[in-house]
Order: sequence, then C-alpha cells, then structure tokens
Amino acid sequence: MSSPTPTPLPRARQRRRNPLPVILGVVALVGLTGFIAFGNLNKSLEYFVTPTEYSQQRAELEGRPIRIGGLVRAVDYNPQTLDLKFVVSDGGASFPVQYSGAVSDLFKENQGVVVRGEFQGNTFHAQELIVKHSEEYNVPKTQTELKDMLQQTQ
Amino acid sequence: MLNLISFTSSALGSLGQVALLGALAFTLAGLALAFVGGIRADARVVEAARRATWAVFALVTLGILVLMVALLNDDFTVRYVAEHSMRSSPTWIKITSLWGALEGSILLWAWLLSGFTFILSLTLRRDALRPWALGTMFVSLLFFVGVCATIASPFTPVSTLLADGRGPNPALQNHWMMAVHPVLLYLGFVGLSVPFAYAVAALVTGRLSDHWVVVTRRWTLVAWTFLTAAIVAGGWWSYETLGWGGYWAWDPVENASFIPWLLTTAFLHSIQIQEKRGLMRSWNVWLIVLAYSSTVLGTFLNRSGIVQSVHAFAGGPVGPVFLGFLAFLLIVGIGLAAWRAPFLRDEAEVPAPVSREGAFLAGNWLFLVFAFMVLLGTLFPTFVEAAQGRRDASVGPAFYNAFAIPLGLGLLLLMGVGPLLPWRRANGQSLMRALTPLLASGLGAALIAFVFGVRAPAVLITVALAAYNLVGLGLLTARAARQAGGLGRTLQAQPRRYGAYTAHVGLVVMALGLAFSGAYRQDAQATLNLRAAAPTTLLHERLELTGLRQVNRGFGDSAIASVSIDGKPFEARLNTYTQAPGALFPAPAVRYGLLGDTYLVVTSIDPKGQWASVRLIESPLVSWIWWGTLIICLGAGLTLVTPARPQTRAAPTGLAPATD
Repeated sequence: MSSPTPTPLPRARQRRRNPLPVILGVVALVGLTGFIAFGNLNKSLEYFVTPTEYSQQRAELEGRPIRIGGLVRAVDYNPQTLDLKFVVSDGGASFPVQYSGAVSDLFKENQGVVVRGEFQGNTFHAQELIVKHSEEYNVPKTQTELKDMLQQTQ
Repeated sequence: MLNLISFTSSALGSLGQVALLGALAFTLAGLALAFVGGIRADARVVEAARRATWAVFALVTLGILVLMVALLNDDFTVRYVAEHSMRSSPTWIKITSLWGALEGSILLWAWLLSGFTFILSLTLRRDALRPWALGTMFVSLLFFVGVCATIASPFTPVSTLLADGRGPNPALQNHWMMAVHPVLLYLGFVGLSVPFAYAVAALVTGRLSDHWVVVTRRWTLVAWTFLTAAIVAGGWWSYETLGWGGYWAWDPVENASFIPWLLTTAFLHSIQIQEKRGLMRSWNVWLIVLAYSSTVLGTFLNRSGIVQSVHAFAGGPVGPVFLGFLAFLLIVGIGLAAWRAPFLRDEAEVPAPVSREGAFLAGNWLFLVFAFMVLLGTLFPTFVEAAQGRRDASVGPAFYNAFAIPLGLGLLLLMGVGPLLPWRRANGQSLMRALTPLLASGLGAALIAFVFGVRAPAVLITVALAAYNLVGLGLLTARAARQAGGLGRTLQAQPRRYGAYTAHVGLVVMALGLAFSGAYRQDAQATLNLRAAAPTTLLHERLELTGLRQVNRGFGDSAIASVSIDGKPFEARLNTYTQAPGALFPAPAVRYGLLGDTYLVVTSIDPKGQWASVRLIESPLVSWIWWGTLIICLGAGLTLVTPARPQTRAAPTGLAPATD
C-alpha cells in the first residue's frame, strides 16, 4: 500500500507551535466571510412573496429581484412573438406580469405560478416562469397555505 | 408503533425485512466485539468482529437482492415497489427504481457501506488500529442499516393492494444518467467512511504517526474519483434533460455534493504533506472528520425539507435522524481531536510561506474557505427564516459566483506554482528562474485570447493560468524525463506524480470549459412555423421547422419537432409520462462540438401542429468540462498504480493476507 521509496527529506523539527499562521488564517476567513456576507448576501437574497405580501412590503422590495407566487388570471399570449401578459393574483391583491418567451399549453387560467423577476412601477417584469402543476387543485385560503402549495409542487 | 415484521401480506417483503433485521443484529454484535477487542487488546475478539462484517455484508446483499426481485417481478405487496415502480416500465427503469426514492437509496447506501467494510476487513493489518477502524465502520453501519431496517424500510407491506404501481418519478426516467449518478455519488460518500474510520482509530489509539494517512490515500483517492465523476455526471444530466442549457445552478442539492468534494480534495493534498514531511497532522484529522460529516449533512439538508430546492425530494422522518447522526459524528470527531490535541501538535514546524508545503497549506485554506462559503450560502435562507421570521428567501447564483470565481482562480494559481517549489524553503533567485517561462506563457496566452476578442477579465485570467499550469507541468515532466533517461522510465518510477499531473491537466481543461461556457453563452427564443416563407434567424443561424410528429412510448407520449439549423437536422422532444399528465419534460437536441455545443429545446408545440416555440443556446467549450473530467479520473487511476522498482524482483505489497 505504501510508497516503496523512503523519503530522503529530513523530518520536521520538533518545536513550539507558532500560533500566528492559524490566527492569521482564521482572521482572514472571518474577515472575508463578513465582507461577502454583509456586502453581497443582502443584495443577492431573493424573497418569495405573494401579491398581498408585496403590496404590504412594497417600499423595501421594489426594483429588487424577487419571486412572486400566485394564481394566473387574464392570460394574453401571442405564440408568434412570444409575448406573454397575465395577472398574478392571490385572491386579495393582483399585479400585471410581462414575460417574453415561450409558454407551454399547460399555462392556463387559475394555474399556480411562481415568477422570478422584479417590479418596475406597477408591472412585474419576469425573467423566468416556474409553472406549478397540481392534480388536485383547491384555491388556498391563507397566504402561507398558498406558498406551501406552490413550494411543494415546485 | 413501528410495524417491523408483518407476515400477513407480503412474503418477499418479510424476507427482506428479516434480512435487514439480521444485518442489524450482526452490526450490533460486531460493534460490541470491536470495542471489547480494542479495549482488552484481545486478538480473538477482534477477529470475531472482523467476521461479523462478512455476515452483515451477506445479509444486506440478501436484502437488496430481495428488493431487486420484488421490483423485477412487480410485487406490489411491497410498499416501495407499489409506490415507485410500475408494470409497464422497461426493465432498466425497474432496476434503477431501486435507488429512485428515499428508502431504496438508503438501502443502496447501506449495501455499499457493508461492501466497503467487507473489503476493509480483508485489507486491514493486524495492528492496534484494527479494532477501532472496524468499530467506527460498525457505527456508520449501525446508523444506515438501522435506518433501513426501521423508519425507512423499503419492505413495509401495503394495506390495500394495487393492480399497478404508481411508477417512478418521471424526471428520473428521462435520461439514463440518472441510473448512474446516484450510484457514483454514494460510492464517493461511502468511500469516505474508510479514511474517517482510520482517523478515528488513529485518534483513539494515539498512533497519529504517518501510517494511517499512508493507508488511507488509496481509499480516499477512489472515493474522491467517484465523487468527482458523480458531481459532473449530475451536471451533465441537468444539461441533457432540464432544457436550460446549463449544468450547475448552485442548488442546495448540488452544493451538498460539492462541499464534501472540496474538503476531500484538501484532505487528499494535505495527507501527502504528512506522508512526506510529517506536517499538517491536525489538518488531516479535522479535514476527514468534516468531509465525512458533510456527506451526512448534505443528505440531511436534502431530505429534511429545511432547505428549499428545485430537486423536490420527499421528506419523511429521515431528516431529524440524519441530523442526530451528523451531530454525533461532529461531537465524537471534535471530542477525540481535542482529547488528542497534544499528539497532533507534535512536529509542528510551521512551513515557510514560499515552499511546496506553504503552497499546499495556502491551498488548504482556500478549499476550506470555499467549502465554508458554499455552506453559508446553502444555509443562509434558513438563518434568515430563523432571524427575521421571513420564509422563502433564497440566495441566487450571483452570490456564489462572487467568491467561487476568485477562489477558483487562486487555486489554479497555487496548483501551477506548487509542484515547482522546492520542499522546505525556496530562495528568491531559483524561484524567479522557475517562474519566468510560466509567467511569460501565461501572458502570451492571455494576449492571444485578447486578440481573438476575449474581454471578460475572469476568462482572460483563466486562459493565462491554464497556459501557466500546462507549461509548468510540461517543463517538470521534461526535466524528470531527461534525468531518468526517457519518459517511459520516469513514468514507471513515479506513477503517483504523473497521475497527479494528469489530473491537474484535466482540471485545467475543465476550468477553461467552465470559464468560456459561463461567460459566452448565448440564448435566444423564437416560434418557428411549418411551411414558413423564409427561415428564422437566431444567433446568426438559420432555423427551419421541417416537421412535427407525436409518438406514443407506452408509458407516455413524445412530441417531436424536427428542425434544421444551418442545414443540419435536429430532433428535440417534449416528453410526457402517464403518471404525471400535467407535466412536460423536455429532451433537448444537443450537437456536441469541440469548440462549442448547439443546444435546441422545444418549449411548446402547437396542438394543431402548425408551429413550435424553440429556444436555441450556443455555449462555447462546454464539452471540455466532460473531457476534462475524464482526464481527471484517468489521472487519479494512474496515481493508484504501484511504481516499478529499480530491482528486478517484485516486492510484496503491504497487504496483509486475510487468511488465518
């Protein structure tokens, strides 16, 4: 199993450990982590909200990348230009969504959907659609229930 | 109450359950024997523990065979078969359904673990480490076999018999790679249990000299190679089936396999330092404890639902149990290492910063920071939820790329300079002499790339570092070949060194693939009409829809769009599966090329058969990632070759014969 040639190197000398490198390493680690965590993490955190939650937290979420989840209403899709407009709603609040790209014919009214993108003014500009499929679909009663349903079928 | 044995409804299920319970009994017996034998230093008791591993292996093998027979015979009295398989599936799908869901995959894990323990029992030397290494393996076995035989047993009977099973998860039927990827991954994870067992044995006995790292090198390399192959195979599966044209999304599941890989890579490098110079003893103990724990952590994260992931894995009672095992491993590992701290501190001569040891040490820190940051990103949403009470925050790829790119480049830099540096201390002059050709080639390569239009700084740096690495390895090889009198001779004398060089070359190839495909990927969408007047132009290519057809595959349908791209035929599919009528699974058409892939996905097809919406993705150098991985695995294989001796007589290897 072992290598056959004995190593010609001298063994390391025994002496007291100098703690400096370890301390330096740990300080560097903590510093880098702190820098990245607070500089970058907060910017790149992406919250998942329902339309009602968004209307409550509008001030802090506008213009930031978020995911919004709800039910699809008022679908207007042109397959030739790939322009899609619809309204995402949770029964309480609702917001218009714009998306450019193909959607399958599974994309229907009252379908659950999670959309990734950001708000510009009152319209949500979507970069990505995550269509939810659920065989037994009931209109959820609470915000949490809706989110759980959307998360589960993700 | 757990209904552990029920002879009422399922004969096969009962046989499998009895086999697993038997394996559990032998595991407990072996565990007790190993510890008693270790404490009393009684060789006969240890021998009994060693033989208990054979019984465990035989019984778990029986268990997994029973499940396989049940799957192939469509025995729906077994709950696992009823829930994850169906009559109409092809045979290969039935076989892979064995690890297509939680209970079966834990059984596969337990079986591989018992197999590794069996192999270990044949190769263990009769020394003081033996009982404790066996005992540690038994602890791991106790956990996995115990989970398998109780809370996550695949053999629980069903209450109401179904005529046909529910069928496997469609996402896993969509590509043959899903049959391979989990097996590779578990081989990697399970393989790490052996070095971990040796580390625990070394800590318990206080024999922290260099014997244990020498013995574990091969085990670690084999595990590491499987882990590397598994991670890349997962990326390739994602590329081939998910239809987004990417291979890595920093998803919690991917991170869960990547963290152990980073820690194992660091361990693999620092055991060389301990072997050659007797340094970094405590590093090695800590790294292997963390690496093995991180495999359990990953499984916990993905099975507990604590972290939301696009890989929707079923939860169940398994999450908390894995968390308990993780806590146990960490507490035992940290406790043992703290107790043996005086032994670990012995030969702690701090390496000079500019020396080969220094490069290894710096590399270790980078790996550690890398692993820590990936873990932080994976767990951050959970922290946010705990701290702010807001659910569902997630960290995007931007967060990971912000540190992964600089750290990756730093590692590439060290990788090139490490082998050139002498041990112990480098003097400035010789260092500059060695580095000049490398720096020159790096600058030259970056200039050439710049002339060809590469402007992204990270890509330019990657190109420069790639050239610098390749030239460095080439020079070293040429020098060694000159001294040994021929390339063949030096290869035979130093397979370990050239295996490592080969693996590094593979990593450079892979890094180029990652850099170019990450920075220069293009993506466009359009709707193509049959009998269109003129071809549609996307990304400077002419696309024409030449046909649309529907095919019934027995367990689902495929809608196939035939598209010609610049005259070359492509056939992209949208698959549906009978178990999931509301879901579409794309199968993109990919034309692999040395310099770039053309990747066509159909996103939607007109029910009337007049048009199809497609997405065209052009990524440069993607296939370099797969080729690079192949080179890495070949290199790792080469390091396992026993070097040729200068004498003519072959020497016996260090394996103790496993006979009495």
